[in-house]
Amino acid sequence: MAMVKTKSSSRRSFLTKIWIGLGFAALLQFLAGAAFFLVSGKKRTDENRPQHIEAGTIADFMPGSVTLIAKGHLYLSRLDDGSFLAISRKCTHLGCAVPWIDERKQFECPCHASVFDITGNVIKAPAPRALDLYPISFERNMVMIDISRPIKRSTFTAEQPAYPQELG
Amino acid sequence: MSKNFLLHFRPRRVPAEGLRFTLTWGLGGMAALMVVLQLATGLLLGFFYEPLPVRAYESVQHIQSTIFLGRLVRNMHHWTGHALIIVVFLHLLRVFINGAFYPPRRRNWLVGLGLAVLILTANFSGYLLPWDQLSYWAVTIATSMLAYIPGIGISLLETMRGGNEVGTATLQLFYFVHTSLVPAALLLFMAYHFWFVRKAGGVLVPDTKHTTDGVKTKSVPVAELLIREMAFAAIVTCFLLLFSMVVDAPLGNMANSEVTPASVKAPWYFLGAQELLLHIHPFVAVCVLPLSISLFLVLLPFGKSKTGKPGRLITTIFIGGTLFLMGLTVTGILFRGPGMQWVWPW
Repeated sequence: MAMVKTKSSSRRSFLTKIWIGLGFAALLQFLAGAAFFLVSGKKRTDENRPQHIEAGTIADFMPGSVTLIAKGHLYLSRLDDGSFLAISRKCTHLGCAVPWIDERKQFECPCHASVFDITGNVIKAPAPRALDLYPISFERNMVMIDISRPIKRSTFTAEQPAYPQELG
Repeated sequence: MSKNFLLHFRPRRVPAEGLRFTLTWGLGGMAALMVVLQLATGLLLGFFYEPLPVRAYESVQHIQSTIFLGRLVRNMHHWTGHALIIVVFLHLLRVFINGAFYPPRRRNWLVGLGLAVLILTANFSGYLLPWDQLSYWAVTIATSMLAYIPGIGISLLETMRGGNEVGTATLQLFYFVHTSLVPAALLLFMAYHFWFVRKAGGVLVPDTKHTTDGVKTKSVPVAELLIREMAFAAIVTCFLLLFSMVVDAPLGNMANSEVTPASVKAPWYFLGAQELLLHIHPFVAVCVLPLSISLFLVLLPFGKSKTGKPGRLITTIFIGGTLFLMGLTVTGILFRGPGMQWVWPW
């Protein structure tokens, strides 16, 4: 009798285990499905396609000047040697919009008082690195900026500025 | 029926010593009451709020200026939300000091930590909804802190914002989290939390083991407790109501992604982290420190204690850490002016 009893209870516990196992399998399936659902919703098709905007003609920008390109959320900075840098407006510290202060010829962040020079280089911390850049190309006399992907950099280097063709 | 529910939700008799106000300071009950108030005011606001960048700000203005009692309802939702963070923090502190996190209350401590995270999430997701300059840039700064987490930081940031910058997708996500995800999770966790309190035999009455040798603790009907709770709830509700009648919730200019206002800070409960970010390596400020604090809080109830209260070392670490973070937060709130320059608040 005792044997029968243990047998039936072990059969019951076996069935219970199967149910629990099936429950876990169902839960895992749901979680996996939910994960794929969420991740595929996040992807965007135009993510890696370049997106060019026209900033203006080369002659519009004086050497040593910085111009806000509002539709790209960036600045076009023309250095004294005539080369161009497309500088992101987003502070590298915590993402505030950095205004260009023309009297002092520098970018000054209103949030935590980081300061950047005309090339986007950090003059004063807490910003950890120079302002992001966007790739520049020239089509005839037009300055074109690819705003799809900002390029991170730690400091300004000589190969970063883009030179218009006639200057070589 | 409601009387039945209120009386039978808990055991028929409770220990008399558990009624003492200074045992719990009514903090857990106060937090529960405030969540109920938030649900009530939030449900009302939800009828008129429109979660789109072009409409959100206007709809909040509409609630404030043309809807009957609209300003009061929004004020209450705003101030109760801030007060809730403080009350939950004090509740956590009280439970720690009483040692009410050791078995059999270990699991409830963990559930309580989950509730604290939910309350923070509720508050932070609600921060963006008015879509004024303050909320837009505070959320920009607070989410930017995520980017300092190595490896996953950037993708975490983009997931949270639904893109590169705070915009339509961010508002939609925050609105959903604020009005669906958090309330649903909060109710489930709260039910679990209360059930565990009952399962552990009510609130922890410290020192009973030492004082009453063989003497049975006196107990009183639960109605005694209930009437005290009702009175306290009425007082707290009155205070919140009066405060909201006198002090308006802030609403600045509409959000503008072109211009960052001069004095902009993360929400006050993240100002400790923001302050740290100015002084130490970002990896430590936004990654190592929050992780070790979480780990400490989670592992806390697994330690051993002879007296039923946390030992001296644990207490020193806990209180020291709390004071340190509070100091940083107060510094961030009071002593930082435009451009994070030092200022005197008076």
